[in-house]
Amino acid sequence: MYNNVVSAVFNIFMSNDISCLRFNFRAVGRSTGNHSSGRGELSDVKACIDFLINLKKVEKVFICGYSYGAAIGCSTVNHSEKIIGYASISFPWDFIGPKYKKLSQADKPKLFIQGDRDDVANFNNFQKHYDFYSNPKEHKIIKGADHFYGGYERQAAEEVFRFYKSIK
Amino acid sequence: MIENEEFFINNDDIKLEAEFFQSSSKTDVAALLVHPHPQFLRI
Repeated sequence: MYNNVVSAVFNIFMSNDISCLRFNFRAVGRSTGNHSSGRGELSDVKACIDFLINLKKVEKVFICGYSYGAAIGCSTVNHSEKIIGYASISFPWDFIGPKYKKLSQADKPKLFIQGDRDDVANFNNFQKHYDFYSNPKEHKIIKGADHFYGGYERQAAEEVFRFYKSIK
Repeated sequence: MIENEEFFINNDDIKLEAEFFQSSSKTDVAALLVHPHPQFLRI
């Protein structure tokens, strides 16, 4: 279940005593099933949201996704009124298709984090995609970071946590 | 403390592997962190 970016975010929430859940998509790690090109993965995220609300009895949920996880995770923002907003780290708009851009539209607070050396979630197209989203929204460009955030994980995680505190 | 969780998706025969950290304040705003898919990071 390790990824440098998600682990940095997980650690900063844990160190601040905030409940958090991370999981492996279907067909990844010890999760069963097969990859289903997005449809099933959306169900995976919704199942996690329901798990937090119904079984862990949390009152509200904040979503943070990275790369493909940003596209899928942020696309469930309207699944429940208990979701207060999201932080997207390197949303791969250009290769994931327009469906997830539309699904991730919401009138809830949104943070978009982007590395200025990212050529996967291409930085050159960031502003065009960002402009699509309605307010409230904000963005943070991390100078020097590419799509994989080597050496910049902590900075990205701190931005996510700052945003979380500002909207909770 | 981190709890290892496994749960089934409703109406689906799929089990998800997860890790959950429970805060001391059970009614806070929980964070759901969504990983990249390994298939899409093989770029």
